[in-house]
Amino acid sequence: MTHDPITLEIIQNSLSAAADEMFAAMGKTAMSSIIYEVLDMGSGITDADGRIASSGAGIPAFIGVLDKSVQFILQKHDDIRPGDVFITNDPWHGGVTHLNDIVLAMPVFSDGTLIAWTAIIAHNSDIGGMAPGSLSGDATEIFQEGLRLPAVKIINQGVTDDAVMDVISCNSRMPDFLYGDIWAAIAGVRVGARRLEGIAEKYGTETFQEAMSRFMEFGEKSACAELAKLPKGTFELDEEQDDGQIFNVKVTISENEFIVDFRDNPDQTAGPGNATRDGTVICAQMLFKALTGPDTPANDGSFRPLKVLTREGSIFHAKEPAAVGFYYETEIRSNDLIWRCLAPHIPELLPAGHFSSICGTFIGGIHPDTGRQYTIIEPQIGGWGAGHNHDGVSCNFCNFHGETYNTPAEISEARNGLYVDKMALNDAPGGEGEFTGGRGLILEYRIRAEQGFLTMGYTRFKEKPWALHGGVEGSGNYVEVIKPEGTTKYSFVSGLDVTTDDVIRVVSSCGAGFGDPKKRDKAAVAADIKAELITPERAAEIYD
Amino acid sequence: MTKTTCRVATDVGGTFTDLVAFETAPDGSLKVTTAKSDTTPPNFENGVLNVLHKGGVDPSTVDFMAHGTTVVINALTERKGVSVGLITTEGFRDTLEIARGNRPDFFNLHYEKPEPFVPRHLRAEVPGRMTYQGDERAPLDASALPEILDDFRKEGVEAIAVCLLHGYANPAHEKAVLAEIQKLWPEVSVVASHQITREWREYERSNTAVLSAYVQPVAARYLGRLDAGLKSRGLPKSPYIMQSNCGVDSLQATSAIPITMVESGPASGFWGAAELGKLIDEPNILALDIGGTTAKCSLIEGGEVKIMTDYWIERSRKSAGYPIMVPVVDLVEIGNGGGSIARVDDFGKLHVGPQSAGALPGPAAYGKGGTEATTTDANLWLGRINRDYFCGGAIEADMSSTETALTNLASKLNVTVDDAARGIVRIANDNMVNALKLVSLNRGHDTRDFTLLAFGGGGSMHAVALAQELQVKKVVVPAAASVFSAWGMMMSDLRRDYFATQLMDLDAGAGARIEAVFAETEAEARATFEAEGVPSDKISFLRYGKFRYQNQEHTTEVPLDGTITDVILDKVAEDFHALYEKEYTYRLNAPVEMVGIHLVARAEVGKLTMAPAETGPADASGAIKATRQVDYALEGIHEATIYDGDALKPGMAFKGPAIIEDSGSTVVVHPKNHVSIDAYSNIHIMLKG
Repeated sequence: MTHDPITLEIIQNSLSAAADEMFAAMGKTAMSSIIYEVLDMGSGITDADGRIASSGAGIPAFIGVLDKSVQFILQKHDDIRPGDVFITNDPWHGGVTHLNDIVLAMPVFSDGTLIAWTAIIAHNSDIGGMAPGSLSGDATEIFQEGLRLPAVKIINQGVTDDAVMDVISCNSRMPDFLYGDIWAAIAGVRVGARRLEGIAEKYGTETFQEAMSRFMEFGEKSACAELAKLPKGTFELDEEQDDGQIFNVKVTISENEFIVDFRDNPDQTAGPGNATRDGTVICAQMLFKALTGPDTPANDGSFRPLKVLTREGSIFHAKEPAAVGFYYETEIRSNDLIWRCLAPHIPELLPAGHFSSICGTFIGGIHPDTGRQYTIIEPQIGGWGAGHNHDGVSCNFCNFHGETYNTPAEISEARNGLYVDKMALNDAPGGEGEFTGGRGLILEYRIRAEQGFLTMGYTRFKEKPWALHGGVEGSGNYVEVIKPEGTTKYSFVSGLDVTTDDVIRVVSSCGAGFGDPKKRDKAAVAADIKAELITPERAAEIYD
Repeated sequence: MTKTTCRVATDVGGTFTDLVAFETAPDGSLKVTTAKSDTTPPNFENGVLNVLHKGGVDPSTVDFMAHGTTVVINALTERKGVSVGLITTEGFRDTLEIARGNRPDFFNLHYEKPEPFVPRHLRAEVPGRMTYQGDERAPLDASALPEILDDFRKEGVEAIAVCLLHGYANPAHEKAVLAEIQKLWPEVSVVASHQITREWREYERSNTAVLSAYVQPVAARYLGRLDAGLKSRGLPKSPYIMQSNCGVDSLQATSAIPITMVESGPASGFWGAAELGKLIDEPNILALDIGGTTAKCSLIEGGEVKIMTDYWIERSRKSAGYPIMVPVVDLVEIGNGGGSIARVDDFGKLHVGPQSAGALPGPAAYGKGGTEATTTDANLWLGRINRDYFCGGAIEADMSSTETALTNLASKLNVTVDDAARGIVRIANDNMVNALKLVSLNRGHDTRDFTLLAFGGGGSMHAVALAQELQVKKVVVPAAASVFSAWGMMMSDLRRDYFATQLMDLDAGAGARIEAVFAETEAEARATFEAEGVPSDKISFLRYGKFRYQNQEHTTEVPLDGTITDVILDKVAEDFHALYEKEYTYRLNAPVEMVGIHLVARAEVGKLTMAPAETGPADASGAIKATRQVDYALEGIHEATIYDGDALKPGMAFKGPAIIEDSGSTVVVHPKNHVSIDAYSNIHIMLKG
């Protein structure tokens, strides 16, 4: 049977529209601010075999997760029926990231045939474990990081399994939030499933499936066309980390393959900074996509030329039951490693290093006005590196995040019962060049109640964002806690006590510079001085 | 009524300034006059005076005048506002530049953030803090203001925006800064955020105040000259100005806070759709306005348009855009209109829009050098638009250019020219269907309960195909669809939408507290109206509460009836649960909290009333012009009867396949459709018998 290309195109457009609708439905109904305000979530549609066909807005680091979840569910279950919804969060059971990130997936049927899946992943505020917010720098096993949901059915042919719901709620310090957020995700996957059923009914199951498959072929073709333009050869980089470890990557680009080799890396650690193989693959996918067509849709086909090699038991391919709570700081290092390895060879495609940390910040305690528990879980914004012909942008989310929003001070003060004393551009020296890096953030929280806590873990504290072609490196990410007895600087801290009038000062890095600062346009230097982004003294020292 | 009442709407567009005059005679009969003249930048008021003259309207006889203008949106998108200085709370001068940190184009490592409208050296801070509950935490220290203002003067600042933290909860500090600025620099244009919005989120509020300041001198100059020009010709009363919330507002209020005009163009059409729906007993309307470069749609339920305050300009998948927190009719706009260009990408996929051929070169068929096929070219090729009566006969269709453009496209797609043209129409329709779904299905509305009302130059050409896809029961094309927006303006009330953030649990005593917020806001609205000379008995209010489950962020708006007391709180909560479930498929057994109010204050200012005509016989054969082959894409090629739209009279009825043509629009009636003309000359198309 031949298929009319316009019909296929219309179905493909509908897949994108459905993924966007799912994202919107979840975002509007979620209870955790990390979901509804920060939009730390992703939505996607896979084909019947769990290959990603379309993804909604959201964060790029979540796009490659959902296919892996669905593939695991398919492997584990042989009783998949209309109306079912599955739940997973465990990286060794299709969950990929860490236990806070819960995936809900729903099979879509047409004429009794499984034709697709809709799936949503989102960061939940607390899933149990040894520390509030479930993330602890002290965890050594995944069992300490919360309840593991090993890809089980939560809704059976439309009937909610209250037993599973009860177990989940009972294991959370914030059961109402968790319950509300899971329902928001269910609403999202249902909206998507309903839309896909309508499309399949209208155009026929076979045409629907053909459209999905052609969409992926299109993804592959467009990736290959861009791959052909990249320089060929093998590129290698060793990079020292804040903790002294050396990470390594080898990238081999050929006519039809892009091979990322992470095998020569340290063993997995006893702490929570391990990444899983699936997670490492996603990091490579994100950079590969940035190089091979950020404008074209991302689907299974887009990633077919990519091969990722890892060594089981290494920090980028941890074995069960490693702790993985802070996986993201290790993952973003692997992503940045590929970026830094290739940037000197293709500077028109890759800018200099950005603040390159999730800067995950967790602050909790009792709201002094309502008496209710509050938990801030937020990534931070920071400075981006300069490109070969432009300055970097200031205060945007890192490349793991996308359609992600910071929390307004007015909302934070009302919801969390603390004060935001300052939210400003970081004017620390660093990032100068012919083109300058963007500015990081200074964000000051003043605590209003006793018995609060701070947990955070940032990388790029000592080893700063890397410059290109003679630019100056960035300034570094950290937190300062200002107490009456003194000020302490942290890059990792777990469960630190904070109390009334303590100030938590979040500082994110400026992006790195590109090119020799002496070549910077004098008018641009004058504008930087006028904007008070650099002192006249520092400007004279760097630029003259 | 003893004398003829004359109501006039003028609308300044990019190319033309339009006039519609409605004269209602003492016996209730209505005479409609339309006229068009060139828009005359930068002295737009001349175009308005010209068009009045051309239409034979003597300003001294005009009882009510409404005026729509794109001056605000143009000043914003063309960056033709003034230099603005921003005064904000200590520690927050970078809010405007930090924005929200989002990167919608997320795989792009070279993403460029939208530039703030105020550079860093013109953003100044003052100490002093309010809490979210509206209490003063630290007193305002305005002692640095003289120095700040000196600096602004030196830098050529012409307008100042003030936005202080929690100014929505307690504007006392903003008011003090405002008063001080007015004292120190009386001639400068200045606006504080609380004058525009009382909702939280400091970046959005700051940006709103800044953009309002940015356009204020431009808009005030424009409106001032317009008013003076009209008054000098004898206009007895200042014109009312069309707003984005579907109402009109006084010229004076609009001059002070012009940003509320930002989306006034589409608003008048959607308001017209709501009013027409009431008139013909179709309270549930999907309204679609297809122009040259974009299509806009909005949903009207129970005769009410939906007004929201989350509006952005220049926002797309490629850019975060700029938020403007003012009441704007809830609409979705996509880059698909008659001039949208069809192209085939490197991978053989066909796209239509968002690039547009514009007025120049325009579609290939204009014969002005356009080489790319547009939606209009496809419609011509398929016989849907009459190639011998193109643009009402004003332009001779250059069909050889259309053929060349389509052939070029067809060869890239490896299909026939006919199939390429059908493909363009189908893709364009699909884009519009997805936009219509966003405002309907996506928000829990069943499209089968709605009537599709299509207007604008291209609305009626695509309406039936879209209606079939969405399974709506009926399509209505209004009489004189080309002046529909002006008609909408004539139907508008003086309308102001007040939004205020006020976080509250629904516990004992909440009823009285909520009532107090409404009462206070109503008193403010009433005082403003009365100060403008609006009689008290003409003022009416609509109340809405914004509710959510505790811990959620986004709210659902619930209509509230009468005085709020504790007794009705259970019913209010139940209404919320029901509306929530409708939109999101589930409800929770969780506490409900109120986040704020939305108050609509309206005053009638003498809007038009319509009288039905006598309906005549059903026989429409007298309006038949000809027959021709029309390609209905998926429904095949049919011999369609062509009707002269101007000759159709109330009561006439006929069946598809047919085309209705008049000088301004083309209605494509598909096979099996039944058409009837109502007593107001609107065209009703029943999809199936």
